[in-house]
Amino acid sequence: MSCTTHFSGHTVVHRLDPRPRVVATLVFAVLIALSGHYRVLCSGVAVGAFLAMLSKLPIRPLAKRLLRLNLFMVVLFLLIPTTSPGEPMFRLLSVPFSHDGVHLAAGITLKANAILLVFTSLLGTVELSSLGHAFHHLHMPAKLTHLFMFTLRYLDVLHHEYVTLLRTMKARAFRPAMSVHTYRTYGYLMGMLLVRSLVRSERIMAAMKCRGFRGEFHAYHHFHFHQRDAVFCLTSAIVLMLFAFVEWISGGVAR
Amino acid sequence: MHITEGVAPASVAAAGALLAAGGVALGLRAMKDEQIPRAALVASAIFVASLVIRLPLGPSSVHPVLNGLAGVLLGWAAMPAFLVALFLQALLFQFGGITTLGINTVTMGFPAVACYYLFSRRIRESKKGREAFLLGVAAGVTALTLSFVLWAGSLILSGKQLAIIVKLSLLPHLAIVTIEGIFTGFIVGFLARVYPKAFEMPHIIKTRSDP
Amino acid sequence: MNEKGNLLDIQGVSFRHTAQQPVLEDVNLTIRHGERVGLVGAIGSGKTTLLHMIVGLLKPNQGQVEILGQTRSSERDFWEVRERVGLLFQDPDDQLFCPTVQEDIAFGPLNQGKNREQTERAVRNALSLVGMEGYEDRITHHLSGGEKRLVSLATVLAMEPDVLLLDEPENGLDPVSHERIRSLLLSLPQAMIVVSHNVEFLASVTTRCLRVEDGKLKEIVV
Ligand SMILES: Nc1ncnc2c1ncn2[C@@H]1O[C@H](COP(=O)(O)OP(=O)(O)O)[C@@H](O)[C@H]1O
Ligand SMILES: [Mg+2]
Repeated sequence: MSCTTHFSGHTVVHRLDPRPRVVATLVFAVLIALSGHYRVLCSGVAVGAFLAMLSKLPIRPLAKRLLRLNLFMVVLFLLIPTTSPGEPMFRLLSVPFSHDGVHLAAGITLKANAILLVFTSLLGTVELSSLGHAFHHLHMPAKLTHLFMFTLRYLDVLHHEYVTLLRTMKARAFRPAMSVHTYRTYGYLMGMLLVRSLVRSERIMAAMKCRGFRGEFHAYHHFHFHQRDAVFCLTSAIVLMLFAFVEWISGGVAR
Repeated sequence: MHITEGVAPASVAAAGALLAAGGVALGLRAMKDEQIPRAALVASAIFVASLVIRLPLGPSSVHPVLNGLAGVLLGWAAMPAFLVALFLQALLFQFGGITTLGINTVTMGFPAVACYYLFSRRIRESKKGREAFLLGVAAGVTALTLSFVLWAGSLILSGKQLAIIVKLSLLPHLAIVTIEGIFTGFIVGFLARVYPKAFEMPHIIKTRSDP
Repeated sequence: MNEKGNLLDIQGVSFRHTAQQPVLEDVNLTIRHGERVGLVGAIGSGKTTLLHMIVGLLKPNQGQVEILGQTRSSERDFWEVRERVGLLFQDPDDQLFCPTVQEDIAFGPLNQGKNREQTERAVRNALSLVGMEGYEDRITHHLSGGEKRLVSLATVLAMEPDVLLLDEPENGLDPVSHERIRSLLLSLPQAMIVVSHNVEFLASVTTRCLRVEDGKLKEIVV
């Protein structure tokens, strides 16, 4: 069992160079977060849905993610318009839903869905270690990149260790309940996991030193920029500029 | 205790991103190269715990956050550690989000660092398991309470209509903070007895020229 | 408990870890009360898998598992099994997770709902059974490999199980501890399944022996 699986596949999106995907996702997210116009936000959702189809994201996991996000949005829709002051837009069971509240909730919902779809389609489809290499080539601070890579590498190891320890606890008739015994047991489990992690991190450091580590990491993974990547860059640039342009001509705070 | 994607307007998101960038920069400077594996392993362990451990609470259960623990173990390095962990959570499990990554890093990371200054030395110098346990409880409670305040603050700054969410979550959070405290206490007590070296590393900010 | 019936009755059980080749295929195994069964087989043949299946840590893909007179399939069915069948894990590092020896041994009895006094008694008894008196307050993480193994065995014995499943209990022990385990197992009244690569050891502590090979169980003579 793994807890670090990406959405693998063989579509054109999967084959794209991860570097422009990282940049495009970030710019898209910022633009959408800044936007205050429904036409931009709705186009954002449309772009997201298009990319999700293009990258053939598996339906079930994607639906689960969308559902989890939108359940929260339903709560927002019920809470914010009914509790914020202002002119009511409509009444439901004689409860007034305020104008401002509905717009706030709608804006949040559209933004969240658009960004989630693009984020998942473009970055959720990159193998995680390639993502680390992409960060490196995009000049993220070296230490941060290495922290990212190391964290990734040990996630599955630690998850496995956790599962093994939990299994032995179950074999000794442990059943979680709301009790200090349970909290203590989980505390010890976590403590043991940490002790092993820390001991292991010392061994790793020792092993790295033995292999000539002097405080500098060398990356040797390189990406190749293909024609399809150029097409992707160009298309994203056009789409993103279009978003910015529409946002700009729509002016002010209007919806 | 995440701010979900889309909730924060540009101004709040940008402020969060700037603060987070500053904190992470300080953290990266404090973290020596040979501490990277350690920070990464603590980050992984905490990531896994916050994902799979469910502490029973009434008919439901809560996930631990463990930022107090991260703080006393990592000091300023907790900032980059949380940045990485939160990015992965957003990517893999849709907790938080990419535009709110900065805010969430601030919300989790700064309370962690505060706990480092408040409790790390005391835990190191504690003589008995019980004392370490109580300090751990204090660290867990302090960190999560501060996180709650920061989280509530950024929600209210994002829109005063959102204050209702804060109000509704006040009571559940009280219970969550209590359990987090007890849980952190047991972990810290365990570490103090079994592997006191965990609290020994010098994580204070050091400039490059320091020996 | 019906002393005449079968302790364990596995019929047509198959298990696969991943989508590939099954580890166990259409396995049948019956063990009666009081029997002591040795289990041999190459590394990776599925001995550990079989033991984990008996206490419900792994669920078979096919077949029926009957333990202590009842068919067991759901997690809840195995709660009772785990209180009465003690499993010694192959790697003691997987078994010990509490700060001190005492707390680790007390973990099982507490889960069984024993009170403080009964638990303390169980801890003392278990430690003296494995000859580790005086280790109560030692930090488990600092014990040597052999000590960890003996303490692991104590954590299992403290639950006073009716059946013992021992996964390579004598592996990595010095001759003295090895001999202690051997005489301890001989003195215990419980039915048991003992996994080992040491055929002499199995011959002396068990009454019959099985080999796991190509996903099947075969009766052998040692
Ligand atoms: N969690 C797991 N995932 C996938 N394969 C596993 C897992 N655990 C064990 N295996 C495989 O199952 C087979 C049987 O393992 P095991 O029962 O541990 O063997 P034994 O105890 O006889 O040495 C081995 O080939 C092993 O690689
Ligand atoms: Mg084995």
